[in-house]
Amino acid sequence: MKSDKKIKVIISKVGLDGHDRGAKVIASLLKEAGMEVVYLGMYQMPEHIIQAAIDEDADVIGVSYLSGEHLTFTQKITEEMQKKGLEHVLFIAGGVIPPEDIPTLKDMGVAEVFMAGTLTQPIVDYIQQQARK
Amino acid sequence: MAKIPENELARQVMKGDRGAGARLITLLEEGNESAREVMKSLYPHTGKSMIVGITGGTGTGKSTLIDLLIHDFRQSGKRVGVVVVDPSSPFSGGAFLGDRLRMQRHACDEGVFIRSMASRGYLGGLARTTAETIRVMEAMGADVVLLETIGSGQDEVEVIRVAQTCILVIAPNMGDDIQALKAGLMEIGHIYVINKSDLEGSIQALREVEAVLSMKTYPDKAWKPRVLSTVATEGKGIRELVSAIQEHNVFINQGARADRFRFERVEYELSLVFKNELERLVHEGLKGTGKKKKYIRKICDGQSDPYTIIAEVLKNFLKKGSFDPEK
Amino acid sequence: MKNQDTGNDKVRPPVNWDSYLKSYYEKPSSGRTWSGFEVKEAYSSRDLKDSNLESRLGTPGNYPFTRGIHKDMFRGRYWTRREVIGMGSPADTNERVKYLTDHGGTGLNTIADITYEMGLDADHPWAVNEVGLTGVNISHIKDMEALTKDIPLDKVSWSLITASTVASVTMAQYVAVAQNRGYDIAQLRGSIQNDPVHFRYCGFRPACPLDLSIRLGCDVMEYCTKHMPKWYYTTVNMYDLREQGITAPQEVAFGFGIAKIYIDELIRRGLSIDEFAPRFTFYVSCHIDLFEEVAKIRAARRIWARMLKEHYGAKNERSMQFRFAVHTAGCSLVPQQPLNNIVRISYQALAAVLAGVQSLHCCSYDEPICLPTEKGHLQALRTQQILAYETGVCNVADPLGGSYYVESLTDRIEEEALKIMGQIEDIGGMTEAIRTQWLDRVFEKEALQRQNELDEREKLLIGVNIFTTEPEKETPLGVQRIPSASAKHQIEETRNLKGTREAEKLKDRIKKLREDAEQGQNVIPAMIEATKAFATTGELMGIVREAMGYPYDPMEALTNPFV
Repeated sequence: MKSDKKIKVIISKVGLDGHDRGAKVIASLLKEAGMEVVYLGMYQMPEHIIQAAIDEDADVIGVSYLSGEHLTFTQKITEEMQKKGLEHVLFIAGGVIPPEDIPTLKDMGVAEVFMAGTLTQPIVDYIQQQARK
Repeated sequence: MAKIPENELARQVMKGDRGAGARLITLLEEGNESAREVMKSLYPHTGKSMIVGITGGTGTGKSTLIDLLIHDFRQSGKRVGVVVVDPSSPFSGGAFLGDRLRMQRHACDEGVFIRSMASRGYLGGLARTTAETIRVMEAMGADVVLLETIGSGQDEVEVIRVAQTCILVIAPNMGDDIQALKAGLMEIGHIYVINKSDLEGSIQALREVEAVLSMKTYPDKAWKPRVLSTVATEGKGIRELVSAIQEHNVFINQGARADRFRFERVEYELSLVFKNELERLVHEGLKGTGKKKKYIRKICDGQSDPYTIIAEVLKNFLKKGSFDPEK
Repeated sequence: MKNQDTGNDKVRPPVNWDSYLKSYYEKPSSGRTWSGFEVKEAYSSRDLKDSNLESRLGTPGNYPFTRGIHKDMFRGRYWTRREVIGMGSPADTNERVKYLTDHGGTGLNTIADITYEMGLDADHPWAVNEVGLTGVNISHIKDMEALTKDIPLDKVSWSLITASTVASVTMAQYVAVAQNRGYDIAQLRGSIQNDPVHFRYCGFRPACPLDLSIRLGCDVMEYCTKHMPKWYYTTVNMYDLREQGITAPQEVAFGFGIAKIYIDELIRRGLSIDEFAPRFTFYVSCHIDLFEEVAKIRAARRIWARMLKEHYGAKNERSMQFRFAVHTAGCSLVPQQPLNNIVRISYQALAAVLAGVQSLHCCSYDEPICLPTEKGHLQALRTQQILAYETGVCNVADPLGGSYYVESLTDRIEEEALKIMGQIEDIGGMTEAIRTQWLDRVFEKEALQRQNELDEREKLLIGVNIFTTEPEKETPLGVQRIPSASAKHQIEETRNLKGTREAEKLKDRIKKLREDAEQGQNVIPAMIEATKAFATTGELMGIVREAMGYPYDPMEALTNPFV
């Protein structure tokens, strides 16, 4: 029996932001690309997302930001990831993010940022190449 | 991430470390060899938890009910493990695991461990490694393990092999024609829950279930299935459900019944592990030889058939200890 | 290495002349509208449904209002140039309101942030990270005073965008301030979005359970009908639904489905249709397919007129008039090559004007990047002004009326929208469609479909799947930042207010609110009085929520401090 490795992805919104159209779409598309996607939906605080990543032994955390909260919450998420030993997990962010903030986010520990309007394949390719499996 | 030596992983799992438990479950899903070694150490520490299976069609509210059950069990100080299974896409092999969403408020409760699993093509409502995952959670110290099966409401009867108490959830007007529910599903429930009972049609659903159940005969000392109504979104009927679960748990743990369940559960797992191991050995044995492709070609070309091939392969193994006839 | 011909350092890669030739002969890849209607290469009178077009259309200002609700449309009065404004603290927002008014904005329009829409005070644990990031939070009467500082409420038309159940509080806060300042509220002009039923699809379900939404939404509508005859008490928001990725006919059908929920409840409460319908308005999207959007709105006017007259028995012509504001489609804009968005927004604004809009908001080009910068906001206003003052398109009512294509498309969209409305009736009505999550599944399906269309290049988007360039490193007119001091100040002020207000008077007013809420009375009057006693948003919402059987706090982090 072949070794059955699947990339496990957590997709979540953070805080009060309720725009979930993009998050839902990306979750579906990653599933169609063969990944196992744990969709957490809305109203997650950083601790909830991190604990889910631990319980699910996730390879990727994907957060969708559409309400300007990306700097505040990314800081908290990446700090929590470090505290809990999740350096091996790929953290990708998407949504309404000014290009000027991308270097800051990457310094905090975000692996890649996909702004609104990105096509699906670049995201799938990136995860397939970079996730630890 | 650095590879943890097996005995260290086992130790961490038994301490209840969720990261370790999660890692082990992944290794089991991947069919990793070292996971077997870890399971050997953990096994003696399992078999004592209350395992409750929850099954039923999509949209009946299983996940919301589980969220409330977790809350209730936590109130009484019990440590809870939760396994939620969703189907893998037969085309892409991926899966959308969206049950955890309804239980996320418990994520940061250190007495709760929730794990989503994709079926990865396994039939019966569970994943291949669900039974093992339940053992892992038991080893981690769970008093209760809640198991949510895939819900298409048709063939998910495998849950009966791993859960002592099985709950079948039905919602009115969800296209559930209770008469038409496959016989198997209506056989396995110890507790039947009509959820969303605030919707029209719930009384009728209740009556229909009672009618179907009344057509069965129960020997004197057997468990008579309970039928309950809940409105999970409003928390209604949960206390009654928990009572029913506890009642059944007491019932099932009386004398011979407890032994029988234990026996059958191990029988099932033994069969699973045996099948896994055999498949793995065959795969390892033929890996890189190109033989598997040759065999398949032979069969496609009409020069042989699966039964002949397997007989040949097995004969060879028994004689020479290898699956490769040329070794 | 130096370029031999130009002498500078740029060495260009060779041009693909084969590709150029292909482009020269290129034609549109799809013969369909954005929503999928197949269209012919040319239309003629033979494509009109029947020769009775005149009577089916009516004339501008006459039933069934296909051609517009006023006979002279913009020759009588321009549409209101009403840019949405909301950022940081109430004072920050007040500043931007005045700025745009200085530059020619003719309608005031302020929008709630997500913390306020959820019903949280600025100092709520879930609010502290997000106050002021997407709009303005109004935690108490002092915030509303700061928002409206130095603005003569009797002179302006103010559009308050709170969509959720919290619109009840917003109305109370605005009225409280107006009354304190001595205004006669019967003279106040403006509107409040107040469409909590749709808002569950924008992620606010904890704040907008269906029964609470209908109750509070209609409390506002009823109160305004009785006490504020010049106020538009709802702007049923089809725009947000369209932002989910649905088609033009779906936008109309679902928007009208939600409108019916409110209308039916108001009638159940004993109001007559003509008593309230003249002040019933809508918020509509204008997307990128210009003719389709114009046709959609003309179809909506005709459907609404018929529905009010035939289904609801309205007698007053004003009840049958589909009154609407437009918000250009945010979801059509992309951050890649952002200045292109100005062009998209211009075409969408053009559609709105050609369709006969009453009030228009143009997105700022940086919509997919951040809140509007001052310059971006001004640019959006200028877009409207160029339309109004330079192009001449507003000189004639319904200038596209009579076009074979547009009339044919209007008919087809009307037919499709009515068909969908019929489907909804078949499953038991809009409330059922919402409760059974039928609508959720439609949104999910359409959103996935739209993404597939982009991925497969069935729909083309410049900068995304055609004519792409290197990703931008910076935003042309800068990025709007919300100063963290604004949030800090607002949070502190809210805490201070809770600590220093008169406890007895407040307790009394809260008690009255609770009683009214529990007895099924209209809660707005009690909310107004409690607001004057410095009750906060979270407290007002919490009391009513508990009375309806919900947790005090939608995020379940706080409990009722008044018990």
